[in-house]
Amino acid sequence: MELSRRHLLQLGMFTAATGALVSACGDDDSSSGSDSKTTTLWYWAGGLSDKVVADAVTQFKARTTVKPSVIGGDFKAKLVTTLASGKFVPDITGVKGEDVAAFLPQANKFVDLNTLGATKLSSEYLTWKLKKATTQDGKLIGFPIDIGPTAAFYREDLFEQAGLPSDPDAVGEAISTWDDYFALGVKLKAKLPKTFLVNNGGSIFTLAIGQGTKRFVDEENHFIGDQDHVRKAWETAVKPLSLGINAKINDNAWNAAIGNGTLGAELGAAWHALDISSAAPATKGKWRVATNPAGPSNIGGSFLAIPKEAANPQLAFEIITWLLNPENQARGFTDAALFPSAPAAYKLPALTGGDPFFGGQATIDVFGPAAEKIPIAYEAPSDAAVSAPYFNELTNIETKGKSPEDAWNDAVSQAKQIAKRQGVD
Amino acid sequence: MTPGRAGGGRARAPGAATRRSLRASKEHRRRPVRSYWREYLAISPFYLVFVGFSLAPVIFTLYIAFQRWDGLGEMQFVGLDQFRFLVKDPTFWLSVWNTVVIWVLATFPMLFLALVLASAMNSRRRSVGFYRITFFVPNVTSIVAAAIFFFAIFSSQYGIVNATFHALGLPEVGWMTNPWTIRLVIAMLMTWQWTGYNALIYLAGLQAIPTELYEAARIDGANAVQIFFRITLPLLRPIILFTVIVSTVTGLQSFTEPQVLFGSNAATNPNSGGPGQAGLTMMLYFYQQAFTNNDYGYGAAIVWALCLLILAFVVINWRIVRGGDDD
Repeated sequence: MELSRRHLLQLGMFTAATGALVSACGDDDSSSGSDSKTTTLWYWAGGLSDKVVADAVTQFKARTTVKPSVIGGDFKAKLVTTLASGKFVPDITGVKGEDVAAFLPQANKFVDLNTLGATKLSSEYLTWKLKKATTQDGKLIGFPIDIGPTAAFYREDLFEQAGLPSDPDAVGEAISTWDDYFALGVKLKAKLPKTFLVNNGGSIFTLAIGQGTKRFVDEENHFIGDQDHVRKAWETAVKPLSLGINAKINDNAWNAAIGNGTLGAELGAAWHALDISSAAPATKGKWRVATNPAGPSNIGGSFLAIPKEAANPQLAFEIITWLLNPENQARGFTDAALFPSAPAAYKLPALTGGDPFFGGQATIDVFGPAAEKIPIAYEAPSDAAVSAPYFNELTNIETKGKSPEDAWNDAVSQAKQIAKRQGVD
Repeated sequence: MTPGRAGGGRARAPGAATRRSLRASKEHRRRPVRSYWREYLAISPFYLVFVGFSLAPVIFTLYIAFQRWDGLGEMQFVGLDQFRFLVKDPTFWLSVWNTVVIWVLATFPMLFLALVLASAMNSRRRSVGFYRITFFVPNVTSIVAAAIFFFAIFSSQYGIVNATFHALGLPEVGWMTNPWTIRLVIAMLMTWQWTGYNALIYLAGLQAIPTELYEAARIDGANAVQIFFRITLPLLRPIILFTVIVSTVTGLQSFTEPQVLFGSNAATNPNSGGPGQAGLTMMLYFYQQAFTNNDYGYGAAIVWALCLLILAFVVINWRIVRGGDDD
């Protein structure tokens, strides 16, 4: 095309006009947020069962048009920027379990679900889970989608080969403390030199911290990351390395390790079963589930929240409670491996049935009781940020051969600095 | 950077275009600015978008670098606190070190390779178009896809690189767990992506060098090496300056590679930069602090530090590449 000055000018005008048009359209759309004819729902891929969501659209068709959007990328960052702008805010949004503590100081950006009748339903859901989304002055900002009670996934065939207990109950008894678990790992490794019981120190640290009632910052916003409970969890995390049963997996080698017998066991949340079965489909039937060493912990599990801008909070809350009633939670478990936060669901066939990946074991016998035994711990908004140095330093011990004592000192001093930046004293 | 300034209007400027534009600007200087309104209108979309989406956020980050802000609540003025934290933060200094090391490991091999490729292409007559496209493909390939691919082949236990090492009887390397090899892999990924782009720019520069100069040199008895160092390299200097500055600006902002590499979706400790935090570049550290930890004030302080670092590097490179003949 011959580009004359006239053409160029026309092009410029056209671009400017298009720009104006686009921004004008934007203004139109933003007002639809306060329109109760539509109810927008934000979640991430796998955050809810797509089938249950599709049913919710039909279920509430007469009263509102439910518009679900699966948001990709960094979900929290997108939610924060949208809430900050106050435009295009969804009527219902997912909040990831690891992010909920950070949203609590901004509880005024959300509707307090207790004012919508959540109090009446609270007995049907796990107390410790509701507590995670409750502010110190009692506002509930999120309704629990799922939880992540932990257990020990182990290879029955390898345990048997090594002459160890292999039945889930017997294994559970044999690993009732961390020391028992590590001792079992030493025996296993003696028989099968290529098989480890621990993938890395960080995963043990996460569990050991989650088994306690205190974390890194207390309710009065003081740093407690240098106290005994953290130190004890740290020592538990470091021990497998000194015993030679830590596989030191810190890269994408996990996928292969879980399938080829490098890992004889894997400690993780109920939803982790899906990671194992998709990384190692060939090991189907060889895995079993036993109780977590030294008691259950929780990893992950998300919430649904109603932002302040929602057009009809009451209706939004009705949709949430429908999406998350025990029957639909059971479907979510079958569909998306979302472990129910309502114990009533544990008695439904979707959960009580045997799982062929685990040789027909009814894993709910392990996860169900675990879910109700998870300790209540205060998680400060700054918790995730403050805990990061411990994980980095545990990795340094494994990959750089740093001495555990130096690593501990560096972790504490860095955690203190981060705490200070985050306004913790 | 304006080409006119860099070339200084000498005969060795990148091409006739510069000289023409210089002459044009002299002729037009007497007309009032207002009479150019159509031209200004035509270029205005770019500047409006630039002001709205680049300049305003940059000014805003400078503002929030003096605040404590979680992105949603009230901002709290903290003066120079964020910068004080920055100076005392060992992780920040580690991120500076990582950034510079990765930049050095990526940029120098990249520019050298690009020059070699461009010279080779310049002496070819046939299928130049094919090579041009081939060289440019890595640059338009999704960096996320490339990063996933790189990490798969460098996987410590099961990657193809270690499999090859094993087959050759060489010891296997923990590519993604050793701090130095992590930096090397990131640098290799950047080299792979940008070499072709720079080669094409060098090629354009080489083709602008008048052939009479080469002929004259050959008649005077210069050999190929002498021609390269006495004619090609000096005449290519403005182009090299351009590529060095662009590589500095982009290379010091490496982010996607380590972010994709080391489990950015992990629920615990995301965006930490991998084992030894060796892949924690300044951009990734900024992202982690601002968007993972909701510490926007500190994140803003980090990007301003990065901005100063880039400026310092550009000035240093400018001096080195321009050599002694500064006006």
